[in-house]
Amino acid sequence: MVKDAFADETMAEKGFEPLIVAYCCNWCSYAGADLAGTSRFEYPTNIRIVRIMCTGRMDPTLVFETLRMGADGVLIAGCHPGDCHYQKGNFMMEKRFDYLKKAVKSMGLEPERVRLEWISASEGGKWSALAREMVQEIKRLGPNPFKSGADPKKTDAMIDAFKAQRLRWVVGRSQIKVEIEEEKYRRTVDSIMSAEVERHMITRALRENGPLTTGELAKLTALRPSTIVQHLVTLRKDGKVGEAGQKDDQYTYKLTT
Amino acid sequence: MAEKTRVGVFVCSCGTNIGGVVDVSAVTEYAKSIPRVIHAEHNLYMCSEAGLTSIKESIKAHSLNRVVVASCTPRTHEPLFRKACEEAGLNQYLFEMANIREHDSWVHPHEKKKATEKAKDIVRMAVGKAVLLEPQTEPEVEVKGSALVIGGGVAGMTAALSMASQGFKVYLIEKEAELGGQTRKLFKLYPTLANASEVVEPMIEAVKTNRNIELATSTTLKDIFGYVGNFKAVTAGPDGDKEIDVGTIIVAPGSSNYTPPKGLHEYGVNERVITQRELDQKLKNGEIGLAERIVMIQCVGARKGEIKPSEFEAFPKSDTAELLRKILKARKEEGWPYCSRICCMNAIKNAILIKETSPKTDVVVMFGDLRVYKEYEDFYRRARDMEVRFIRHIEEARPEITQTLQGKLQVSAYDALSGMEVTFAADWVVLSTPLIPSKDEIMLARMLKIPIGTDGFVMEAHLKLRPVDTNVDGVFIAGTVSGPKDVSESVISGEAAAARASILMGNGKVKTEAITAVVDESQCIGCGLCEEICPYGAPKIEDGKSKIREVLCRGCGSCAAECPKRTITMHHYGDHQILAQVRALLVPSIAQED
Repeated sequence: MVKDAFADETMAEKGFEPLIVAYCCNWCSYAGADLAGTSRFEYPTNIRIVRIMCTGRMDPTLVFETLRMGADGVLIAGCHPGDCHYQKGNFMMEKRFDYLKKAVKSMGLEPERVRLEWISASEGGKWSALAREMVQEIKRLGPNPFKSGADPKKTDAMIDAFKAQRLRWVVGRSQIKVEIEEEKYRRTVDSIMSAEVERHMITRALRENGPLTTGELAKLTALRPSTIVQHLVTLRKDGKVGEAGQKDDQYTYKLTT
Repeated sequence: MAEKTRVGVFVCSCGTNIGGVVDVSAVTEYAKSIPRVIHAEHNLYMCSEAGLTSIKESIKAHSLNRVVVASCTPRTHEPLFRKACEEAGLNQYLFEMANIREHDSWVHPHEKKKATEKAKDIVRMAVGKAVLLEPQTEPEVEVKGSALVIGGGVAGMTAALSMASQGFKVYLIEKEAELGGQTRKLFKLYPTLANASEVVEPMIEAVKTNRNIELATSTTLKDIFGYVGNFKAVTAGPDGDKEIDVGTIIVAPGSSNYTPPKGLHEYGVNERVITQRELDQKLKNGEIGLAERIVMIQCVGARKGEIKPSEFEAFPKSDTAELLRKILKARKEEGWPYCSRICCMNAIKNAILIKETSPKTDVVVMFGDLRVYKEYEDFYRRARDMEVRFIRHIEEARPEITQTLQGKLQVSAYDALSGMEVTFAADWVVLSTPLIPSKDEIMLARMLKIPIGTDGFVMEAHLKLRPVDTNVDGVFIAGTVSGPKDVSESVISGEAAAARASILMGNGKVKTEAITAVVDESQCIGCGLCEEICPYGAPKIEDGKSKIREVLCRGCGSCAAECPKRTITMHHYGDHQILAQVRALLVPSIAQED
């Protein structure tokens, strides 16, 4: 999203009121938000809280779907490190969050729309300060671009990719001991993530508009034809895509399942 | 869904708490317009007898099969409303709460209009989820009337005796050859100056002669299976391995005493530098002799350094022992960050003991902070009356042994009160060292899947409200395994743990978590990721499929978030149920279709 300062200003003038979905863990952050209430710590009315048992529960797709549905911001709030009611759910969320943030960025959204914060049951003040700050930040960023017709193709493919086994497996493995250097592992996951998103963009396009030629696929997905060919080779090997016929001296492809 | 969904919405004014800000009538009217809402009403206090009766009557009158109460936080009132639903014949998990007080009226008192709109959103979200709720049952499991107590110190023995006296069968295992733990090795106890043996010996005798207690010394826990009410423990002792079936477990393995690294304050180099524990023994054996001066240094190895939370948290299952050894070694050099609670009284006790036998000996206690709580203030005054000298040093200039002259140790420190450096020639230098977690205890905690806190001690389920419970149902803690305690505090925790375990054993059954993970076995590929990440050991791969033992599952949902095939889902917190709330908020038109 390219935005200039002017656009921000007009947004503020129009009185843009963002809607932020806050996923709060039951034991710390939900209770922290309760305490903000008990203590009458006021904050803007833009936050809607969804209660979950633990941030460890947060499947990345929940965040993507929330953004896809038009939330202007997503907050995930859990217990401080070491305080998790379930021992280490927050650590798992933290590990996941790096990938999640990268994914949000590659969807074309500002990564600042998504935040992970630790709020304890005794931090009502911190909760209300955070709410104020985040509302301010999202106001600066402006409304969720999907609401004004931004192309959601990549986001839909990202959701598909994060629902599929390959990407989930490598992200999940990072929760337990990996035999290679952490930084190297991250890079591997990143490259798998971008490949998976592209493949899901292709399969989506084929599902909705197939059969298609390489050129048509390139047009629909905005990916380079050479990239499309590479992915088609893999997808054919996996038995997910097959040839459908010919069109203008080119092969057309379709989903096999 | 075969049965038609019929939602009832009950909006609470909470006196003026909600009603003073949110237009409760408007919210109620709005609720009636939400699809599938059959009935909506508001009440001054939904949690009052009248309110609850109204919910129950409406369930019957309107054949409601989902109930949403828009009021305060579910963290306090959910059980009450759930109970009302159950009483009207509705499964309690078909209830959902909309928090329009803590999360709305109380935080937006000056924005009445916006707060009312927000309340409508919150109600709509709750209805969105309620529609997709399913009935759940809390599995009930039998609790065997027997307990395993690990550790035969004061805390473990107290717990064993308490449970045995209530008629429960108790298996007490102790890793050493004798009962009594650390207390048995002590000379005198503060503040009574009673002999430790007078406290411990009768207790040991009572344990040995109790018919309900089966005692095994030189025995450790080798492995543990099962869950609350039905544990199978494998113990390793002189007569080989033995299997015991118990309903509850009390973990009381104690802690160990910090030994300073060689060279710290000349410890291990000069034989006249000893720890309080060693002084205790020397006093008992009369080995101190006629000393002119004894200097005590407080907080050696305590209240220093820093432990990163991840140090104890994120151990991979393999390598635990190796990693632990490294951490404990690093801590030995750096010290432990917490206050060990008992060392001040212990130093005062030994100072008084020295003064009582040898009034002419000058006893100097050097401290950064002296922490004597409760009646121990009198104990401290008594020491002062006996002319024990207390010298406060500043943190930046801790006492140092500067040189050794004619068999005397010269100790220097910066006296914060006089603002001068002071130097003492001492016959003995005594180091007060903290109680610390030991490797064996941490390994035991990991075997039982009890979390370890950032100080390295076993963590309570709740520091204030559940101080002897652990995060593992049916497993309780007593004594210094959860942090430094003196004898009386260990007895208290032993009694408390026994009482908590007895509640379970006395009832003979317990309800476990309904919000658990469930596997669709037809989709499971048996990769084992869930088994590796679960902190409770609930999933287990059998025949290439993950099986989740629901009594072990606590419902965090981490496995559901990570399952590569997305074949694990959560009862009551499924992806579709969570997203239904968001959809109801953001795209109500779609949410209301189908």
